[in-house]
Amino acid sequence: MTHDNNDSIFKVAFNLIGACIISGLIIGAVYSLTAATAAEKIVELKNASLQEMVADADAIVEIEGKHEWHEAIKDGEVVAYIVPAESKGYAGAIELLVSISPDLKVLKYSILESKETPGLGDKAKEPLFADQFIGKDAEHLEVTKDPNKTELIQSISGSTITSRAVTKAVKEALEEVTAFVQGGE
Amino acid sequence: MTLWKEFAKGWVIENPILVLALSLCPALAVTSSVVTSLTMGLVVMFVITSNNVVVSIVKKLVNPKVRVPVYIICIATIVTLASLLLQAYAPLLYKALGIYLELVVVFAIILARAEVFASKNNVGRAFLDGFGMGCGFTFAMLIIGVIRELLGNGTILGINILGTAYEPALIMILPPGGFLLIGYLVGLFKLWNMHMEKRQRIRGEAA
Repeated sequence: MTHDNNDSIFKVAFNLIGACIISGLIIGAVYSLTAATAAEKIVELKNASLQEMVADADAIVEIEGKHEWHEAIKDGEVVAYIVPAESKGYAGAIELLVSISPDLKVLKYSILESKETPGLGDKAKEPLFADQFIGKDAEHLEVTKDPNKTELIQSISGSTITSRAVTKAVKEALEEVTAFVQGGE
Repeated sequence: MTLWKEFAKGWVIENPILVLALSLCPALAVTSSVVTSLTMGLVVMFVITSNNVVVSIVKKLVNPKVRVPVYIICIATIVTLASLLLQAYAPLLYKALGIYLELVVVFAIILARAEVFASKNNVGRAFLDGFGMGCGFTFAMLIIGVIRELLGNGTILGINILGTAYEPALIMILPPGGFLLIGYLVGLFKLWNMHMEKRQRIRGEAA
């Protein structure tokens, strides 16, 4: 080991600090350039995903007094309630948007955020699983592994935890909307 | 010729996953379908190439005692920049990449190339090394991804190949199947490399 100037603790520390400062400055500069666009894109995406939930709605309005709740309106009537839902999946939280019809049945859901295993739990996004929810009421929102019980939700093979988590989130959303609709009338 | 070798070695002779056995964890985690394997491969290719270039530019400024933390900062900066830019200009792609993008920071292969190669070579060679290694990584990920998706799901890129009569072998999608497959592929690459070495030796003796 050579004992030249390079071994001084200050030199080593300054070298590291320098690297951190440069990196921080670069990231800061880029962030200040992109932050505004990124925020815009997030809003855009959110509106697009709301619109996607009820394709034939004329307007989607936020419900007052309820955080992030929306109702879809067509010809002056409410055709769907769109509410956020969340539950714990196999790998972290799964965030969804659920749309519920005024007669309290599930219209559809879409997964906004999830970290489920690609090829397994990830399949919850696919129609094969997701389409089972269409038209279901609270009683039939239950996961089963029995292929004969077609009135219930068929679990994704290899991803029971994800299937249950999604079903639970949708059911909770449905129950919340039920309470809201019945309470309001 | 030697420049070509810097690029080509990453494909088979020093393939990051199947010969150097680095970054096996992501190779296992995201290769259950072709799309995710390919995306991950391309992200790594980008990060490893740019990191190699940056490291070989700043190599004289870095104190050898803190070189590893500095390289990590460098990788983290590149990944953060990439994710900021994607967030702003390609939010859909950013969403699709999800957690993979941030995982790239801790990939052993990227740090290994910075330490072993980029810190000792000039920019051009470092670029070729990074690009070659990135290609090799993507190549290996793609092989694993194609086999796992085909056997485990009967599809490639979501298109059904093996027909409805095929009963998917679920184990190939699950981590144990990934381990088994990577083991076999490592063996296969080893055999191939041994074969090539032998042939080269014979040719060397003849000359």
